[in-house]
Amino acid sequence: MSFRLRLASFLVASLAILQILTAILVYEVTRRQLIVQGEQELVVASKAFARQLDDVSTRVADNVQVLTLDFALRSAIAQRDRATVLSALRNHGRRVGATRMLLVELDGSIQADTAETSPPLQKFPFSDLTDAALDHPSAAVAAWDGRAYWIVVVPVSAPALIGLIAAAIPVDDAFLAHLQEQSTLPSTIELAAQSADGHWNVLARGSDRVDLATQVIAAKSDTPMLTDFNGREYVALATHLNSSKSSAPIIAVLGYSLDDALRPYRSVASAWAILLALGLVFGLIAAVIIARGVSRPVEALAATARRIAAGDYTPSAPIKQRGEIGELAAAFNNMAQAIGEREERIRFQSGHDAATGLPNRVSAEGLIQMQLEAQPRMRGALLMVALARLPEITKTMGHAISDRLMRNAGERIRQPADKALVARATDTEFLVWMRDAEQAAAIALAFRILDVLGVPYQEADLAIDLAPAVGVALCPQHGAQASVLLQRAEVALFAALGSEEPVAVYDPIADPHRPERLSLMSDLREALDHDQMQLHYQPKLNLATGMIDGAEGLVRWTHPKLGNIPPDAFIGLAEETGNIRRLTRWVLAAGIANARAWSVSGKNLRLSLNLSARDLEDVDLPRRIGELLAVHAVPPEMILLEITESAVMGKPEAAIRVLQRLADQGIDLAIDDFGVGQSSFAYLRRLPVRELKIDKSFLLKLAQGTEDRTIVGSIVELGHRLGYQVTAEGVTDQTTLDYLGEIGCDHAQGFFIAHAMPGEAFDAFLAESVWSRRRIA
Amino acid sequence: MRLRWLSGAVVFLLTPNLGAAELTVRITAARAAAVADAVVTIAPKAGTAAPSARPTAQTRVIDQKNETFIPYVEIFRPGDSIVFHNSDHTRHHVYSFAPARQFEFVLTSGESSSPLQLAHAGVVAVGCNIHDQMITYAYISDAPWIARSDANGRVSIDALPAGDFQVRVWHPQLRPGQQEPVQDLHIEASSDSKDVAFSLSLLPDPRTPVDRERSGY
Repeated sequence: MSFRLRLASFLVASLAILQILTAILVYEVTRRQLIVQGEQELVVASKAFARQLDDVSTRVADNVQVLTLDFALRSAIAQRDRATVLSALRNHGRRVGATRMLLVELDGSIQADTAETSPPLQKFPFSDLTDAALDHPSAAVAAWDGRAYWIVVVPVSAPALIGLIAAAIPVDDAFLAHLQEQSTLPSTIELAAQSADGHWNVLARGSDRVDLATQVIAAKSDTPMLTDFNGREYVALATHLNSSKSSAPIIAVLGYSLDDALRPYRSVASAWAILLALGLVFGLIAAVIIARGVSRPVEALAATARRIAAGDYTPSAPIKQRGEIGELAAAFNNMAQAIGEREERIRFQSGHDAATGLPNRVSAEGLIQMQLEAQPRMRGALLMVALARLPEITKTMGHAISDRLMRNAGERIRQPADKALVARATDTEFLVWMRDAEQAAAIALAFRILDVLGVPYQEADLAIDLAPAVGVALCPQHGAQASVLLQRAEVALFAALGSEEPVAVYDPIADPHRPERLSLMSDLREALDHDQMQLHYQPKLNLATGMIDGAEGLVRWTHPKLGNIPPDAFIGLAEETGNIRRLTRWVLAAGIANARAWSVSGKNLRLSLNLSARDLEDVDLPRRIGELLAVHAVPPEMILLEITESAVMGKPEAAIRVLQRLADQGIDLAIDDFGVGQSSFAYLRRLPVRELKIDKSFLLKLAQGTEDRTIVGSIVELGHRLGYQVTAEGVTDQTTLDYLGEIGCDHAQGFFIAHAMPGEAFDAFLAESVWSRRRIA
Repeated sequence: MRLRWLSGAVVFLLTPNLGAAELTVRITAARAAAVADAVVTIAPKAGTAAPSARPTAQTRVIDQKNETFIPYVEIFRPGDSIVFHNSDHTRHHVYSFAPARQFEFVLTSGESSSPLQLAHAGVVAVGCNIHDQMITYAYISDAPWIARSDANGRVSIDALPAGDFQVRVWHPQLRPGQQEPVQDLHIEASSDSKDVAFSLSLLPDPRTPVDRERSGY
């Protein structure tokens, strides 16, 4: 129910209730007044009625009296001429309206009776009237044969008193009606007489034919009382009439009809009802108008509030109303405006970077995603621009200057970016989103960005080199989602940062962060647990003897679904994910077990096994290897552990401790991939190393006789001088092998000699190979 | 023993008789009002001698003056005659339906009727058909002693011999249905006076027009 409706309803309802209450009040007051008035009227009317009856009695008595003076009648009576008397009585009876005339003797016996009842009436029943008539004409109402009569008795003198004439004049309905017409008697008059059995019979009624008598008489009240008949209300009064003592008592019941009395007020009431209806209509209209005056601004305010809730802060039409509502409306508009401004600010802040004023990553990502979704087949390029030196700058110069630098960089990027979206992606990175751009355009832009960022940042007496790099991811080749593009561009960026090329396009193959790798890792654990890994062996040729006297154990993994996984792929992964120690353990266990097998079968072979840099952090490693050797009863001399230069360089002290303990156990150590790292001879000398393995990159072009020969020869010579054995890896041809022999390299390894192979194949190789039998001088 | 008649309202006892008593009858109505025009008759009971002398027949005149019969009551002896005289300037229609004597005639102003003999005892009520309030009574009786009460309601009868009598009173307005006013009377020889009182119940005087304002019916 709306406010307007409620307000209007309230007003109209109050009006109606007030009117109805007033109407009820007036009706009640009027009714009570009418009852009081009716009671008064009844008292007066009953007296008047009695008086009227008396008056009529007098008149009738006079008339009858006059009749008795008729000489002929008197003559007839005196002379006892009964026939004449009867006819005269009838005649005179008609004159006075009497229905029965009697000639009564002074002793009460009946001389003549016009009714001529059978049997003839002997004695006149109303002796009190005849007695009184001797003094003067007497009259009274009496019940006679079930009807009401005036009995008028007058003496007849001729000239002396010779008899009495009684006239019975009916007091009937017509008479009462006649009386009512002539006077202001109430509409209801009833005459009732008590019968011998005490029951009251109505003898006559006035114009209003209702039956009040029985109830009113039964009430035995001598004051007016309220009663009803057929649902109509009456004030009624019972009055004993001055009736003959010889007659049954007669009561006149006068009734005053409240309904009739109210009738004049009915027109007033209907006029009132019309007025009330008109008043209600006008009230309703007025209420609606007033309510509208109040509710419209409120509704407008509610609508404004809804709009504000929906985020629309445009000011609503001004409400032309003074007072509180107007003030409220104005306050509402101010509030909406303030909220709008604040929201705008918050939204900007949430979507923008404070330092550069550029959109932040979240908003930019959202925007890009929106565009991609709007145009599913859109081509585009996402560029991630990093200032590699920024963290260093921040640490050195503080955040304020790095903020200024970033702002400056952002401004610079925006020039070549043109219409492309520029946003700040991270602390050190910007992103640039080019719609509808191919790889060429993206790379061109990347170089233009590098150009503008190539100028050092100038501030006061500072000139800071920004060292920018750009990673590019292309849509849809590298991803159709903004988040994926961002990730890929960042991967490309890292690639660029790690390489000499300052611009890199995402290479899915090189991406170390592809999600498949995670599942690969769990597969690796699975493989380790279920011994699904294999250890292959690459023979190691002793150049001095021309015999295979050793092998390098290389781990191989055949994935049930993916097939052979390159060792570089899963070993790097294992190192990153902390699984390398388990892998190493497996390799050591498998390798040492196999060394035992060789030893048992009489093969005098030395097994080389690789340790990861991480393994050198494991202080438990020497003990573990010792246990393995002991379990398999393999002498430590049969084992050679290979480590890379970089593995030692990471945490040299810890690594050296571990290596020393291994060496103490009698295990020889080799430096793998020697020559490509940044090995320090100072460290090298501290290592308990027995062997150097020259990196295969030096042997690739050894056959072509380049300076690599010098390097390899120098390394061999240096190694030997320092007391190391030297092994060359990656021997792919005879020339190389021959050269290695010439310069006195101790061992050679490579495809030319043999690939790495499973244990059985290796055993077969040893049995059949030329290297097993041939001896080189 | 002699009874004197006088024209008028009063009966006088002219000559006292030795050895006879004088009877005084007082007649009153309600509230001790004296009743005039009451007729007292005394009849001897068995064993008492009645006077034998009979007076001669007489003629009495009833005058009509101011629309009134004068007197109201007149005593007649059977055989007496009655004459009506009209002293008014109006006519009077004199009539009687009395069984004792019926007549009807009109008297013009100053006219007298011819004598009408009242041969039988009885009461003859005479009225005027023109004037309802006019009424007179001729009381015809052969009672030995008869007298009419005076304005004081008194009747005196002297020289009543000793013996037993019945005293009756009649009045035109006697209420019907009442017990007849009769008293036994015993006169001792030695007594010389006797008082008898009657109290009557009377109807209103018909000669006066009814005062309707006060009639109360």
